[in-house]
Amino acid sequence: MCADLKLLKVDLGKRSIEISPLALESIRDYIGGRGLGAHLLYAAGRHLGEPLSPDTPVIITPGALAGTGAPSSSRTSLTSISPLTGTIFESNSGGRAGIMLRRAGFAALWIEGLSEEPLSLVIDEGGVRFFDAAPLSGLGNKETRSRLLSEVGPKHSVLSIGPAGERSSLIANVCHDGRFFGRGGVGALFGAKNLKAIAFHGEGVVPLANKDAFDFVVGEAKKLISAHPITSKGLPQFGTAVLMNVMNCKEALPVRNFRDSSFEGASRISGEAVRDNILSGRHSCFGCSIACGRTVKVDGVEMEGPEFETLWAFGAALGLSDLTGVVRLNAKANDLGIDTISAGSTIAAARELFDLGKLDWNPLDGGLDGLLTLVEEMALGKGRGAELGDGSSVFSKKKGYGGVSMTVKGMELPAYDPRGCQGQGLAYATSTRGGCHLRAYMIAPEILAAPKLVDRFSSSGKAGLVIVSQNLNAAVDSLGMCRFTSFALKDDYYARLLRAATGQEIDGQGLMSVGERIYNVERLANIERGFTRKDDTLPKRLLEEPHQVGALKGRVVSLEEMLDEYYRFRGWDSEGTPTGVKLESLGLGKG
Amino acid sequence: MYEQFRDIGRDLYLGGLVSSHAGNMSVRMGDRILITRRGSMVGRLKPDDLIETGLDADDAMVTLASSELIVHRAIYKATSALAIVHTHPPHATALSLSQDAIVPVDSEGSYLLHKVPVVEAAKTIGSSEVAEVIPPALRDHKVAMLRGHGSFAVGELLEEAFMVTSSLEFSSRILYLVRTLGGDHKEYRKSAERYETW
Repeated sequence: MCADLKLLKVDLGKRSIEISPLALESIRDYIGGRGLGAHLLYAAGRHLGEPLSPDTPVIITPGALAGTGAPSSSRTSLTSISPLTGTIFESNSGGRAGIMLRRAGFAALWIEGLSEEPLSLVIDEGGVRFFDAAPLSGLGNKETRSRLLSEVGPKHSVLSIGPAGERSSLIANVCHDGRFFGRGGVGALFGAKNLKAIAFHGEGVVPLANKDAFDFVVGEAKKLISAHPITSKGLPQFGTAVLMNVMNCKEALPVRNFRDSSFEGASRISGEAVRDNILSGRHSCFGCSIACGRTVKVDGVEMEGPEFETLWAFGAALGLSDLTGVVRLNAKANDLGIDTISAGSTIAAARELFDLGKLDWNPLDGGLDGLLTLVEEMALGKGRGAELGDGSSVFSKKKGYGGVSMTVKGMELPAYDPRGCQGQGLAYATSTRGGCHLRAYMIAPEILAAPKLVDRFSSSGKAGLVIVSQNLNAAVDSLGMCRFTSFALKDDYYARLLRAATGQEIDGQGLMSVGERIYNVERLANIERGFTRKDDTLPKRLLEEPHQVGALKGRVVSLEEMLDEYYRFRGWDSEGTPTGVKLESLGLGKG
Repeated sequence: MYEQFRDIGRDLYLGGLVSSHAGNMSVRMGDRILITRRGSMVGRLKPDDLIETGLDADDAMVTLASSELIVHRAIYKATSALAIVHTHPPHATALSLSQDAIVPVDSEGSYLLHKVPVVEAAKTIGSSEVAEVIPPALRDHKVAMLRGHGSFAVGELLEEAFMVTSSLEFSSRILYLVRTLGGDHKEYRKSAERYETW
């Protein structure tokens, strides 16, 4: 293990920095990335504060394999408390910031305090510098990045927020070299600190403990990644949008705010439609051969291609199939800095309220132009969109109809109807960051047959599969490797990569134990913030309101029976609190 | 769940991976285990041949459970496995008598397995000794051989454990054939010598 990994602490209010070595135990037990972020936050007791307080830190941690050349290993974690969910929250993004931070000599960046004036932070060979960001205030992400790079140099990696983050919208995100730290309103955390942007650059070399062994394992891992149809064909050819037609043909695609489960217009907003009509190029995160990113051309203008979740949120979720319209909405949301899943889902909830006669304006009335205006208003907190700008939970509760908010712990669910995949329902309910598919991706075994196909309508045996997925994903996030690699790789591959790269004596099972430890720390943080079993639930619609037609007819999520088994399996009590025995076994015992 | 046990059990027998009354399978369900009955014919499993008992604590059902229950429990406690398949694959078992690891030379085995560790115990059936030596071998591999006895394979699903078991026996058979044909093979893999260290 590297003995010289450092933590950089920055206080924006005092404009001071502090550099300290990270304890070897922290690296051994939490690896890096998501695990290290959760550990640092929890160990310091800073998980207990208000999300938007200056004292609640934002922690940025590169994955343990950042900069090593491991396949698809450029992902970085941003950890704090979510202003949207109130939970501990890790957002994970591809991009170069983590690599640059590691090359600059740091394994973690801790940011706290409130700057009196808008501020940008630059971390590079010149040290840590504070830049006046007043000239950047109000600018979108594209212009912010461009202006900052013109000041600090073109090779820097840039994190920035748009106007939504500046006004601390609860669904604001953080732009990261054109990709995003999404979900949970993490952009609001920057805004609440008056932090507009961070630029990173480093030129150091990340050492390898055993280069020969590392090169061999990398080669073996790449062989599997290039042989698996999902990572070698589906994602490279169609991007994440490959899922649109797959989910629709399984009738598990949430449509019109989860009121339907298949969409007549799905093929028009599918990965195939993107490829055949607007695709102009593919791109990847640093060092990734999968290259799921898309560039598209609409009316002669090149833009970022929308991901599956965005095609769903601005398409099927609204009952719309305007492909180029989704591209424009995506560009608008990205530049202004709001999360596309939450934005689209919130509009879908508003539309349902209109259908119910509980909202006196139709959010879809103005066609594409109307939606573009609405998204802008949501981001800027102006006009009709202002009341939608903090997400569907806040909005629908204000209207007195919380039931239309398809959220878990306040965060909008993504593009998979769990009435058609029971395990995903349990995964949503037990996610440590609310409604998301990234803590456990049960679509893999329930729809994509990875590693093998299981009965998606059965709740039997799903608790164990969800737990293994949650633990493995926590470990993979800590390595900084892309989740997509886990379609092809098993725990022992990840452990071998880490072992060869850092020298840490760890095997596949040891890595799974690290993942379990991380998940329990996240759980403890949430419990100490007041979350209980009653929060591990789903919107009433998914538990009590079956679809009336199609493959999902008559089906709801059998959550309670799965939840009981899940808690027992985890070694948690019936309220979902980790037992003393479990904590002891993970090295988390008190005292 | 029964259908999975039945179908995979049938394939284990018909595939020649077990004799008539040998081999066993289990899945973990939280703090419970569903395991094949002692003396059951895995090729002809009936619903009553699946026995549920505790992961830790004994109950009356342990009298009916497979004699390898102690090993299954130890594997579940030491790993993240959710399913175990134990068989007596003839070629792999033969190789285990002369080698400390089985290193496939065929393409599928090289991809899936790289190397299969061989461990040994003097008391080879249902013993605490086996329960001690097998779980560590499965921390970094999905299948391990108990010398002279057979394979223990793990997975998230029975099908996964079955797959690596089947792959191990095919790779072992190819190794046997290669050696029967004269011993050497033309190497087609890059850094093949490193498979020994996997």
